[in-house]
Amino acid sequence: MGESPSGKKLKVKEPWFAVRRELPSHRASVLTAISFILPLLIWSAVSYLPFLWHPDIKLQLSADRKDVTTVYTAGDRVSKEFFPEFQEAVRSQNEELEAQLKSDDPLAGSSESSVRRANKKVLRHLAPVLESNGWITSEQTKEDELIYEAWKDVATGKRKLKSPGLSEENIEIAKQNWNAMSAVSPVYDSDNFISVPLLSLVPQGKPSNPDYLPAPHHVASSGLEVLMMPAEGDRPSMVQRIGHSIRIVFGGFLLSALIGIPIGVLCGTYAFFSRLIEPFTDFFRYMPAPTFSTLLVAIFLANDAPKIALVFVGTFFQMVLVVSNTTRGLNMNLLEAAQTLGAKQSQLLTHVVIPGILPSMYNDLRILLGWAWTWLVIAELVGVKSGLTEFIESQGRYRNFDLVFPVIILIGLIGFFTDQFLAFLRGIIFPWTKEGEAMSSHPVAKVILFIPRLIKKAFSSKTSPAPTPQAGQP
Amino acid sequence: MIPPSPDIVDYHEQTPEVKERFTQLKQRPVVLSVDNVTKDFPTRNGVVRALHDIDFEVYRREFMCVIGPSGCGKSTLIRILAGLEIQSEGEVLLDGNPVAGPGPDRGMVFQTYTLFPWLTVKQNVMFGPKMTGHMSAEIEADARQWIDMVGLSKFENSYPHQLSGGMKQRVAIARALANRPRILLMDEPFGALDAQTRAQMQAYLLEIWRNLDITILFITHDLDEAVYLADRILVLKANPGEIDEIIEVSVPRPRSMEQFISPEFIATKHHINQLIHPEQKGDGPVLHFPRLTEAGDDVE
Repeated sequence: MGESPSGKKLKVKEPWFAVRRELPSHRASVLTAISFILPLLIWSAVSYLPFLWHPDIKLQLSADRKDVTTVYTAGDRVSKEFFPEFQEAVRSQNEELEAQLKSDDPLAGSSESSVRRANKKVLRHLAPVLESNGWITSEQTKEDELIYEAWKDVATGKRKLKSPGLSEENIEIAKQNWNAMSAVSPVYDSDNFISVPLLSLVPQGKPSNPDYLPAPHHVASSGLEVLMMPAEGDRPSMVQRIGHSIRIVFGGFLLSALIGIPIGVLCGTYAFFSRLIEPFTDFFRYMPAPTFSTLLVAIFLANDAPKIALVFVGTFFQMVLVVSNTTRGLNMNLLEAAQTLGAKQSQLLTHVVIPGILPSMYNDLRILLGWAWTWLVIAELVGVKSGLTEFIESQGRYRNFDLVFPVIILIGLIGFFTDQFLAFLRGIIFPWTKEGEAMSSHPVAKVILFIPRLIKKAFSSKTSPAPTPQAGQP
Repeated sequence: MIPPSPDIVDYHEQTPEVKERFTQLKQRPVVLSVDNVTKDFPTRNGVVRALHDIDFEVYRREFMCVIGPSGCGKSTLIRILAGLEIQSEGEVLLDGNPVAGPGPDRGMVFQTYTLFPWLTVKQNVMFGPKMTGHMSAEIEADARQWIDMVGLSKFENSYPHQLSGGMKQRVAIARALANRPRILLMDEPFGALDAQTRAQMQAYLLEIWRNLDITILFITHDLDEAVYLADRILVLKANPGEIDEIIEVSVPRPRSMEQFISPEFIATKHHINQLIHPEQKGDGPVLHFPRLTEAGDDVE
């Protein structure tokens, strides 16, 4: 068996692509892993490979332009197309200045004090580069004495800027400026600062993605920071925000389940309720829940009530229809069998319909819980903004997208793991299903299955006390 | 088709013992009486008559089979008897009382598997008595007996999805019997089983029937099954469903598989077959077969 006539073992090659055929488990798990790794790889590639996309230049060194009101500082992004134009503008400005210095009127009519002020600005233009090279700390970016020393070191070649380094032309400019400055004073002197115009450093930068796509490591590091964010005055901590959001999702969802499931089951069981309730429900669900937001605020006023109500409106009508459909999907033969066994109409509902639809309804509810999560963001914008959405909203407005991404991913993770957990629970709650059989030997399942047995035991011993002889009994 | 054999006997012919048995049978009280039952279904093209003037009686402890071509309304008939459909005309009497709706006095075994998947084997068997308001302590012991009877004691705590098709139908029989019905209605209960399991189940059912005080009405489309199991066979014809003939099976009891080739068995089967497929008497249409083998293949 399994051997060819030549004695070699026959190896059956399993195809990767076969219509409606399940893959072997090791392949399936590899693909599951890849399904998460692949998007992460794409994100990393786009973030870390400079030749992929990177439509912007992130400025490491900036400069002011004369008579232009738009000011870019280091850290800003400009488009790749505009960057050379920007550099050229500064260069020609420098050329003009050199020509002007050689002329009879080096100040070109401006006062010494205004030139001095402009020069101090030029001095500080080097600060961001010094900071990222670690020559000064972020608190020292306005300590002109230190920056003055740095100019000296750069110009004299005593120290070299490395990351980022200065371009040849900027080193040249630094030397020229230092020569001019040192001629006035070897150390920084605010009152006796050079009053002849200095050359501007030519802008430098490196290719970068727009700020709305932060790199993975950036998101990861700020993610931790975001998660640990403590409460501050009125602002709740991140953990409090998560709790608040979950309360709204589950509050709205449980409320609609509490009302929607009984109605759905009734509609699926009795044509009377189906005809009475379903047509209107079918109509109502096409009215988008967010359109009711102002109405809900008017009815429920502030705080969480209108938010929970919005999640409710968004899921309730779907729930009635989905549950009634599932109820109708119950095998009719089971109902007939029950009747031939003597079940009355009232018993059919409690002893056949409800236990029969539970596993499918459980799956419906998992899908509907996903719906509830999608309403969260809109719900939290209703009335007073709150929870995770308020954080996303405010940080997004400041373009702090590295703080926004972790929260978006966090919402996804909460939803995903809730669903995975519920899928796992299904096998335990419904041991009569196919999944249930595989699950019954699971160690966690054994523990969880033990609880209802314990309750049952406690319950039965309470309700049926030991029989005591009573007077009048035979 | 059954080959016309030279020693073919008249299916009417009964040995004195068999004759005696039928005389005794007909002296027993009538359990189920079907009086001129007619069933019409409204369709877009007017009313279609599924059953026309069905009139017969089932005696106590009788095993009756209903057979007929597809579309003869045999399922409709049994559903009316079970109370799952309402006849258009006529009456169904159980022990002389008219039947209205389904009830535990008529146990039913369906062709499809109808065990409740969320209940264990034992809980399934206990379902009927529980519905009719018995105390759970006594019905549990009772259910064990029924499960023991169908040989599934080891599986009493299993769920239906863990059982094979034959086992499921055995539980279904036990479940129907646990209500102690007056008659057991069986709608092609072994139709979905493989041939071997079906043969086992047939022998099994005869065993149960012989040992219990139970009347059975059994629907099938399998001639062997009908002749093997039944005291009498009700043959229906289609369009509309009408009684063609009620045949007294002359094969002596106790039955066994060896009787499948006995002259009475073959004669009865032959007769029913001719009732159901009258058009098959002559030669069939001439068929033309395309050539499958290629030149050079090693074929004669």
